[in-house]
Amino acid sequence: MVVVATNITYFLANAFLDPRTLFVGRRPPLTEQQVDTLLQANNLNSHESIFLRWWTWAKDIVLHWDWGNSPTGDPVNGEIAFRIGVSAELLLGAFVLYTIIGISLGIYSASRQYKVSDRIVQATSIITLNIPVVVMSLAIVLAAIGFNQKVGIRMFYVTGSSSADAHGFGKIVDLLQHLTLPTISLVIISYAGTQMLQRSLLLDTISADYVRMARAKGLTKAQAIRKHALRTSLIPVATQVAFSIPGLFTGAVLTETIFNWQGMGQYFIDTLNKMNINGVVAVAAFGALMTAIGAVLADIAVVVLDPRVRVH
Amino acid sequence: MSVNDVRDQLAASALERGDSTGAAAMSRRKRLSRRELYTRRFLRNRPAVAGLIIFVMIVLFSIFGGLPAKHSYLETDFLNLSAAPSADHWFGTNNAGNDLYAETVHGLQRSLIIALIVSTGTTVISAVVGAAAAYFGGSFERVVLGVIHFLMVVPTFLILALFSNRSGGSWIVIAVIMLLVNWFWPARVVWTLSLSIRERDYVSASRYMGVSGLRIVVRHIIPNIGSLLIIQFTLGVVGAVLSETGLSFIGFGVKPPDVSLGALIGSGADTVSSAPWLFYFPAAALTLLTVSMALVSDGLRDAFDPTSAAGGRA
Repeated sequence: MVVVATNITYFLANAFLDPRTLFVGRRPPLTEQQVDTLLQANNLNSHESIFLRWWTWAKDIVLHWDWGNSPTGDPVNGEIAFRIGVSAELLLGAFVLYTIIGISLGIYSASRQYKVSDRIVQATSIITLNIPVVVMSLAIVLAAIGFNQKVGIRMFYVTGSSSADAHGFGKIVDLLQHLTLPTISLVIISYAGTQMLQRSLLLDTISADYVRMARAKGLTKAQAIRKHALRTSLIPVATQVAFSIPGLFTGAVLTETIFNWQGMGQYFIDTLNKMNINGVVAVAAFGALMTAIGAVLADIAVVVLDPRVRVH
Repeated sequence: MSVNDVRDQLAASALERGDSTGAAAMSRRKRLSRRELYTRRFLRNRPAVAGLIIFVMIVLFSIFGGLPAKHSYLETDFLNLSAAPSADHWFGTNNAGNDLYAETVHGLQRSLIIALIVSTGTTVISAVVGAAAAYFGGSFERVVLGVIHFLMVVPTFLILALFSNRSGGSWIVIAVIMLLVNWFWPARVVWTLSLSIRERDYVSASRYMGVSGLRIVVRHIIPNIGSLLIIQFTLGVVGAVLSETGLSFIGFGVKPPDVSLGALIGSGADTVSSAPWLFYFPAAALTLLTVSMALVSDGLRDAFDPTSAAGGRA
């Protein structure tokens, strides 16, 4: 499936992006011939048959793991390798945080159904779930700028993933200063989905007979929920969380743009704007790979959590 | 499960207990029509009503808000560049001198229209395709499911960006493309639900009466998943507004001179510390729109769901 999706994207990107336009308006004007040779070097010449180009492209990937060059000749591989790291720094932390926060808030609000605390958590979740990413992130930027001015020093960095002059132990502090804001913004917009799912699933299992049985045996409510109800309700939550991984990367497009992180999301926009066909395809392949990984992780999570499923 | 089922169950259980007063009370009380019941349950839900009021106000604002405006959204005022909100420019102006009030009203209109088109279209297409696939079965079903599964793998956000980048920012093209990449998720849900409805007696009855297949789908299957479709419609509006905003924000959506809320926030983002009003007003409009719609859809879900106790007893 990953391979199919990647190949479709290759043809789509070739149909819709025209690197030739990059050379329009060059001073001195380039002749058709010169443009052809420039593009030919990067396997992007649209005068050559699309199937020939595809063959070269596919052969390079399979044989040399070479994802091609941008129209200006920079290899896509290097860019991607660097940017996956940058994105991962941001996304892994946010992913772990919002999953934990979402699940624990879900348990908390389910065990206090229709009490004031549950209502407050639910109302907050509905609002944060539906606040547009851009609005949330920019509001955080504004708040952070205000905070920095109040304190008088730059506690939080609003843009970028690291400063150039940091080294040694300062590097970690610097990274944290950059990480805080985008992580907060990602966590706030993402936790609510998990929280709501966890709450409704746990509510279903809390009223199940075996949980009532556990209470009847003398377990406290907290014990009954932790030992009996939670495990059942975690299975679908884990599936959903695993499948949210690819969405995390597309969702981060906006966050990365606003906080100016040089990650995959930003690269995606960059490649589209600069007619970087090979780059676009590589990003799409990465997205498809993430979907596949998400599906595998979901299966693993089910096997781990569900005692009825056993791998032989 | 429909409300009629619940009512039957209540009556049945009252009879089983030999409790004649329960059944008598059921028949003595005026029977509520389904719509009355839903309305009552919905109105009891205060956040949902608040959401509905806010949403209606936003719609009215987007339609009539342009009337008292002193400037057109296309007009540029060279005497007031990046001016803070004032008596002349209620929401201030941007660095080209466009009046932000007029732009916000227009952008809201654009975002709403796109969202409504996308959501209506998605609901209709997914209902017809999903229900038809479930009813007709056979090779038609296999083809439809094949297409749906195929579209699930293809990176739709990328396609969206590719197409809309090419379209030059025309909002109609953007709406149509969003429609094309959005319909298949709900279609799959509709398909799953229709599978069970296909087996109901009234469907077989009308089939043996000689009613044509398409007619059964439209008249008998789709109305019975109506509540789901309505919820899906409201959620679709939120989703469409959010993705349109995202696209316009990164510059692949509606392009100047046309404006949408996403494009407005996008241009306001660059000057968020020097001219924050360019961000505040469109962002407030956008947030109110999505949150109010989400509250409405949440209230609808509680109203339609006979097992939900959130709306109290009805």
